[in-house]
Order: sequence, then structure tokens, then C-alpha cells
Amino acid sequence: MATWRRRNPCVAPVEVFPTPFALLTTERAVRRLYAVDAGAAALGLYPGQKATDAGALCPELVTAEADPEGDLEALQALADWCVRFSPAVAVDAPDGLILDITGVSHLWQGEAAMLDDLLARLAANGVPARGAIADTAGAAWALARYGPDRTIAPVGGQLPLLAGLPIAGLRLDETAAAQLPRLGLTRIGRLIDLPRGQLARRFGAHVMLRLDQALGQAEEALTYRRPPSPWWGRVAFAEPISVLDDLVRAAQDVAEKLCARMALEGQGARRFVFTYHRLDGAAPAQEVRLSLAGRDTKRLVKLLAPKLEAIDPGFGIEVVTLTAHEVEPLSGRQGQLEGAKNGYGAAAREETLAPLVDRLTNRLGENRVWRAEPRASHVPEQAVATRPALSVVSGTAWDPDRPRPLRLFRRPEPITVIAKLPDDPPRTFTWRGRPHRVSRAEGPERIAEEWWGRPIGEVTPMALRDYYRVEDEAGGRYWLFREGLYVDGEPMPRWWLHGLFA
Amino acid sequence: MPVSPPVRLAAMRAQIAALEAGTRTPTSILAFGDSRIDDCLAGGGLPLGRWHELVGEGLEIETAIAPAAVAALMARPLAAKGAALWVFRRGDLHAPGLQGLGFAAQALIQVQARDDAEALAVMEDALGTQGVSAVLGEVDAIDLTAGRRLQLACEKRGGTGFLIRRRPYGSMAGRTTQEGGSAAASRWRIAPAPSRSPDEALGLLGPPCWRVELERSRGGRPGAWILEQDESHGPHALRVVADLAGGDLAAAEPVRRAG
Repeated sequence: MATWRRRNPCVAPVEVFPTPFALLTTERAVRRLYAVDAGAAALGLYPGQKATDAGALCPELVTAEADPEGDLEALQALADWCVRFSPAVAVDAPDGLILDITGVSHLWQGEAAMLDDLLARLAANGVPARGAIADTAGAAWALARYGPDRTIAPVGGQLPLLAGLPIAGLRLDETAAAQLPRLGLTRIGRLIDLPRGQLARRFGAHVMLRLDQALGQAEEALTYRRPPSPWWGRVAFAEPISVLDDLVRAAQDVAEKLCARMALEGQGARRFVFTYHRLDGAAPAQEVRLSLAGRDTKRLVKLLAPKLEAIDPGFGIEVVTLTAHEVEPLSGRQGQLEGAKNGYGAAAREETLAPLVDRLTNRLGENRVWRAEPRASHVPEQAVATRPALSVVSGTAWDPDRPRPLRLFRRPEPITVIAKLPDDPPRTFTWRGRPHRVSRAEGPERIAEEWWGRPIGEVTPMALRDYYRVEDEAGGRYWLFREGLYVDGEPMPRWWLHGLFA
Repeated sequence: MPVSPPVRLAAMRAQIAALEAGTRTPTSILAFGDSRIDDCLAGGGLPLGRWHELVGEGLEIETAIAPAAVAALMARPLAAKGAALWVFRRGDLHAPGLQGLGFAAQALIQVQARDDAEALAVMEDALGTQGVSAVLGEVDAIDLTAGRRLQLACEKRGGTGFLIRRRPYGSMAGRTTQEGGSAAASRWRIAPAPSRSPDEALGLLGPPCWRVELERSRGGRPGAWILEQDESHGPHALRVVADLAGGDLAAAEPVRRAG
């Protein structure tokens, strides 16, 4: 509902919406209410009610179409925005966010101040929200929805707070949530007092799991919107910034903070994500990748600076955060090794080439700089695997007894050929409209398909290529193949040019 | 204090020599190991810390297969000493084939650029990096400014550039691309040549041969040869089969036109 209001701001502010209002959805050809506002709820309307019934009860009801996907997108955008408070934000569809604030709250001088800041900022952006802080995600979920607003459960003390809350605060499935109140079990506290075995037998292990999760006796896995990285830096500004130079300076400041911490603990990272949190809630991010783990502020900023032009500061940027990923130990000495002194070893190669490879990958793109590595495959176009440019070269090599062309076309090009006998190499062939007379030829080298990669029923001995290495009279050397065999009743095999030899 | 003219003259000459040191001092060379080629090159071999232009012929300009192969063989000894990069726009370079030419294909860093300007910028960046000994680039056209920039990058760390001229597929066939400016240390025109079969009766393929023409070399003179890949021959593995200078050149013409 809040999302709908944000999308249609011209209608009216939240407080003074004159008539009852509801969002509609179509469920199995029945129009039902999807969400209702406070005015409609006061008239006894509830989500899930048939639209016709609601219309009869309350003729002045104003409705609009619900958009669940849009809501989810908005929630995810909100989760991205919340990264300024904690790097670990989980989306709890349809209407919640769970933030892991372990070890982060001290940045706000306490949990209460942090929660107040978060809710105040949400309210300023037109998002009415309630919040709670507890040891477990389950307890916080219940307190935020059914407890007093801005409850902060003391460490280990969620039990007395939860006891008074309705059963619905346990995130139960529909049947259990409908049955328990009918048996008089309306409060969580009543459930805790009952013998566990009977409860589990009657309502399923699910109820016990939810109860344990709320009380911290069972683990709960949350899917964080971004994988949490303990390597995290943040710089906030009193006044929003928007000039490009300032963005670069801010990146430098936040990088220095994080890199100093990394240097202290002897760590380096391969991936750095700079996120610029804008006043209006958007959070454009830019990424810097290193081919070798590093923590050199100057280098990071140099690589980042050209990318910052793509960041639209909008009305201004108030917070810059930096997270480091793929963190690995990095000894301090590594930075000072002199490549020139001890000849050209593997370490020296990495030291001198890493900045170049970083510059190239960050300018051209991730998959545009690589190194070739043999892959065990008979199929020529699959014999090469690409690896990061500075990865360690393995000892294996391509089979030297099988000559391969210097240029291999991604798609073989069709040619027309004239051969003396069906299984002979061609005498002449026409490629790209030009005839070539073959003076010498070698072959065939028969390469069959990788039959183990297909269902056994589709495997056929006809799926093979006979490769010929031919030289024309001008000295050009080509790699041709015939696809399939000459068999009566089958279509004529076709000829292709697959590559060019040196 | 008055200084005598000869002394001042000597001092000025030294000053000028120092100013020109960036471009004129003879750099190290990589000899082909055959006086017929080496005599045509200024320092007695392929000058390092420069860039060289390799051009194909006819339709070859679109595949640039012969220039690429010869450039790989020329750069081979350099690639063994340091890092090598190959910059291209069309990614049809096949590493197993490069290995077949004796090139350390696995250590080669391959870079795919989006256009000529980007490819040249990458070459320039790589040549100015310590530890990079050879940079091979496939580029359609290069103007004087870009050539000069490439030269300055080469001088920075002594890297050697090999610029393979390659026209993108499907571009105007009749278009004459401007011959690279005078910034290149040498320009080679390379066409395939019929190989010498080890066994004519069977019609087997011999080691690859090329018709290599040195069109321009700074401080040297032009020449033309038939070269063959021969592993037993020095670091370059390029052996002179025939000298096409003078009368031989005319004799070789019909062979090239055939087919």
C-alpha cells in the first residue's frame, strides 16, 4: 500500500486520505481485496475479502489494482538502500526487511539510536515502518509486527517480551495459524508452556521450529541480499556531495579506512565495490576488480576514477560505502619485491603485470582479457579454455602431433568442393567466391562428436568430421572438413572451411 | 670565462645527442641469423624497442594469417624473455595453432578490443609496462600520431611492438587503407608461398613458407626473401630459402599470382 502511494503521490498524503481505500487482485477469477488502508480496516474490511462484498459494505471504497511484483521490486530497492546501515540485509517478502546489525550498531552509538535513525529516514522517504531489535530474526519479526514500536529486546531476554504477543507473530503456516486460536491458544506464552511432544504431533514440527527460531534455540538461515563481508567501510557526509572530484575524494577516504584495516590484519582483496547512497534512496555502485589481491588505495582510486563518471549523483550523495570481496591473506613484503633485481621470475611477472592487467580488465571488461589453457576435448573449437590472464600456467599442452590452425573460425564457413573420389581430399574448392586449386593435402583426421554428452538414443556414427589440411597453389594453407559420410539415401555431406594454417 | 669555439661546439653536439637519445641511439637488436636479411636492417638485426608493421596481401588482408604467423615467429624469442600480449578485435586466434609455431601460447595474454582506437590504446599501455617484451596487435589502420605515440611507448621500457594490419570482414573491399606513417621502424609485406614438400609423390605439406618483403626499414634497405619455418635454425626459426632480390623477384611473381 505504501508502495502504491509512493508511485501515485498526487492522490493525497497518507494521513488525510479522505475515503477508505483498498488494492484489488484477481484470485481464481474472483476479485479480492489485496490490502486495505486504516480507514477501510476501521469499517471492517480485511485483505482476502471479496471485492463485491466490500463494495456492498462500503460503497464509497476507492480501489486500485495491486502489483505484487512491483512491491517486491520496491522492497528489494529498499533492501539495497538499507545497506548503508548494515552490509547484511535480507528481504522478507512481502513486507519486511531483516538487517543483521551484529557489530555495526556502535557506528550509531547504540542500537536505539540506530533504530531511530533508520525509521526516521524511512518515514522521511514516505515509507511508514515499524522496527524492533532482538537476538533472533524470528523474535524481531514478531516484535516489529505485534509488539510496541521500536522495542529493543535485551540480549537473551526475548522470552518475556514474546509471551504476550499473538500466535500470528510466530510466522506459522495457514492451518496452524487458524487452528491454534480456536483451541484458546492465542498468545505465544501459552504455547511455550505446553508439552512440546504433543504440540509437534498435533500441529507439525513446523510450529516447534518457528518457536525455537524465535527463542534462539534453532538456527535460521536468512538469504541476504548481498553476501555479508566483514570488510566494510563507510563514510558519511554532513552535506550531500555531487561533484565528480568529491566522489573521487570520498572513494579515497573510504578506501584508506578499509585498506588500513586490511594492512593491519595482513589481508588483501580482489574485488572492491564502491556504493554511493543518494538522498533519494538509489544506491548506484561501481566495482573494481584486481587480478591479484591488493589493498593499495592509490591504485584502487585510479582504477575507479574513470568509472565514476557513470554515477549520477542526483540530488546528492550522503553516504559512501565500500565492501571488499574475495579477501585473502597478503603478506606485507610482497609489495616491495623488486622485479628487476631478481631477474624475471614468476613473482616478478605478477608484480609488474598485475597493474597492467587490472587497467585493461577494468577498462575493457571482465571477459576481454584472458589466457588460453588446454581443455581435454577432441572437438577443435572446445579445445581451448580461457583463464584469467595471470593465473598459473599448467604443465599440460595441446597434442603436438595434431596440427591445428592459427586462426579458427567460430563458425565454419561453407565451401563448395570438387573431389576425385568421395573419400579423397578436394581438388578445388571455392571459398568466399574465390576458387582455390589444391596442390597438396594431408588427411583425413577423423573427429567424431562427443557421444557421451548426449542421450544414448541420439548418438549416431554419422556425426563426424573428416578434416583435411590442404595447400593451394599460392601457398595458402587451409583446414577443411567434410561433415558426415557419403551414404546411399542420405543427403550429400557438406564441406566447410574451419580454419587457416600459418 | 670565454670558451673556445671548438669546445662550445663539442658541448652543443653532446647536448643535441642527449636530446636525441630518446629516438636515435641504437637499441639492442634481434638478429635473424642470416646475413641476407640482417644486412638490410640498420643495426644488423630486428631493432628492439621499436614497432614494426606487417602487412598482408590481397584477400589476406582480411584474415592476416601470413603476417600473424611471421609476427609470431619474429616475436617468439622475445616472448620467452618476458610477457607477451596479443591484441585483436576479432577473436579467431587459436592457441593450439600458435603452439604449433613454437610460441608459448599458454602464457600469452590475449586482449579483445572493441575498435582500432581501443586496440592501439591497449598496445600503447602494454608497451609502456615493465616486464612486457612483445606486443602484437591486429589493427586496420594507424595514422602518424598514433604511430608516434606507439613509438614513445616502446621507448619507455624497451618493449617491441608488432602491428599486424588487418581489415575487418565486410568492409569496403576496394578501399585503400592508408599505409602506416613513417613511425614504424620497418614495414614487411608478407604473403604465403608454396611449401616444399618432403615427399612430392605423396603430396604432403612441408613446413610453412612465406614470401617476405621488407618494404621499408629505417636506416636499412629493402629486400625480399622466401622464408621457411625451420626449428633447427636459431631463435627465430625463420630460414631463408631464396633471395628474391633483383631478378629473382620477377621470377617469383607468376608463382604468387597462380590460383
